[in-house]
Amino acid sequence: MVEVQNPAKAPGEVLLALETGRITAAKALSQLVAMDKGTGGPREDEAAERRRRLEEARAELNGLIGLDGVKKLVGEMVAFVEVQKWRARENLATEPLALHMIFKGNPGTGKTTVARILGRMFKELGVLPKGHSIEVERADLVGEYIGHTAQKTREQIKRALGGILFIDEAYSLARGGHKDFGKEAIDTMVKAMEDHKDELILILAGYPHEMEDFLETNPGLVSRFPIQIDFPDYTIRELLQIAELMIKKRQYRFSEGARARLHEILLQVSLNGDKNSGNARLVRNLIERALRQQAVRLLHKGQVGREELMLLVEEDLPPKSQFKRRPEELFRARVRALEKAVAGGETTP
Amino acid sequence: MKSCVVIGQSNVGKTMFAVNFAAFLGRQELAIAIKAADGPDGARTYNVDEAILTLTGPEVHKTRNLLGQNLEMGVGKGRKPFYLVDTTGLSEGIHPNTQIRRAMAQTLGVIRDAAVILHMMDASAIRRDHPEIGEVDLELANYARMRPGYAILANKMDLPPAQEGLAVLQQRFQELPIFPISALRRQGFREVKRFVAQHI
Repeated sequence: MVEVQNPAKAPGEVLLALETGRITAAKALSQLVAMDKGTGGPREDEAAERRRRLEEARAELNGLIGLDGVKKLVGEMVAFVEVQKWRARENLATEPLALHMIFKGNPGTGKTTVARILGRMFKELGVLPKGHSIEVERADLVGEYIGHTAQKTREQIKRALGGILFIDEAYSLARGGHKDFGKEAIDTMVKAMEDHKDELILILAGYPHEMEDFLETNPGLVSRFPIQIDFPDYTIRELLQIAELMIKKRQYRFSEGARARLHEILLQVSLNGDKNSGNARLVRNLIERALRQQAVRLLHKGQVGREELMLLVEEDLPPKSQFKRRPEELFRARVRALEKAVAGGETTP
Repeated sequence: MKSCVVIGQSNVGKTMFAVNFAAFLGRQELAIAIKAADGPDGARTYNVDEAILTLTGPEVHKTRNLLGQNLEMGVGKGRKPFYLVDTTGLSEGIHPNTQIRRAMAQTLGVIRDAAVILHMMDASAIRRDHPEIGEVDLELANYARMRPGYAILANKMDLPPAQEGLAVLQQRFQELPIFPISALRRQGFREVKRFVAQHI
């Protein structure tokens, strides 16, 4: 994720930034101007600012590798929201905006990242007043005794008002049958969706198979979540692009050997055929580990130049064998996948 | 006491103006309080010629501290005191020298509560076919234009090309008061004095 440099909030900070050489005198002056205008600034400035921030969020979304379906759908939603506003201006009937969503995808396919960006976009579009996103899971919603669940769930909803409530692994709410309190959490949420139509967007996220089961057992939910977005696994090519992007942002680069090693690892993981095969988080963890390894390597070496500080070599990445599963493990995973496929009536393992 | 700050890019003649303006107001001896960006504050007394010799010069960023003078001028029937502050020039871009950056921060610090801001530009450096006014100057004008005590001093009018520069400035900053002066030859000071007197 890109770190956005916060503009200074007080005149003193501006002067300090100038003093430490972070900004030019001209920039300092323009920041002081903005500050003096304060909140009572002209309205058109604010509209321009909103548009700029919207474009920023959009650019961030479009900067994500892959996810073409997601981008297209988000484009549609943004257009829809905008056009509804125009229609309202012409006194035409407007569709009520139902923007509750279901995100289906394996771990590390960008669900949380997209949710965060969406929050910002909806804020700038005027759909949500605050646009923050609260990420919760089963343990945050489900209580321990009767009556506790509704209270906990309501608390989380209250925190999320004005923004997005992102429920990760939402299918776990239906786990444990009828006596489980998860059901109560769902009921409370559905109620809140109706009560706070205009100030809350709910996103239920989870792994594709589990989510489908979840929706099947709760038919009322499907109609309340009109937008379903699939997050496909990243291809190896996309994962490599993601890796390049990540290290570029951190001002590192791969040696040829390192690039080949990363490719090998990703191939091996995809051969294992489990949920992690298209996982961008795996890539991030690999890179973060590589950065630490590089640090250790350089520290031992002592004298290093600028180039070396940027370069990640083959040895910084873990060997491919580390990701090889033992045959019996692999067998078990295959059987599990097969079983699931049979149960779901699908043909591909 | 209200303060009057002379500000602008480096080498446009701020210190020359501060010294000669004090002389124009009748000072022979200049008691200058030095507020250093880093290091201890100080005070010096010069006569006018000494001051011009030691404080001004052709090199960029000659002034690296705030130089303050307690002055007074006749306003109406009485005399009114004010504090004339000469500042470090603001440069375009990020200056590599820490001391100068600190001094520039100090400069911006004092204009925030100044009653009069005299924004000095070198009119002889602005040409009609090359009418770019520095980003710093534009931002400065943008920052201060709403203040009643803000005026632009088009300096170095004693140099021939300055007429052209003045025309460019007048066109660019139509709604703002612009005084053509020569800090070196003490020309145009009467108008500046009247303007300052209105705002202190």
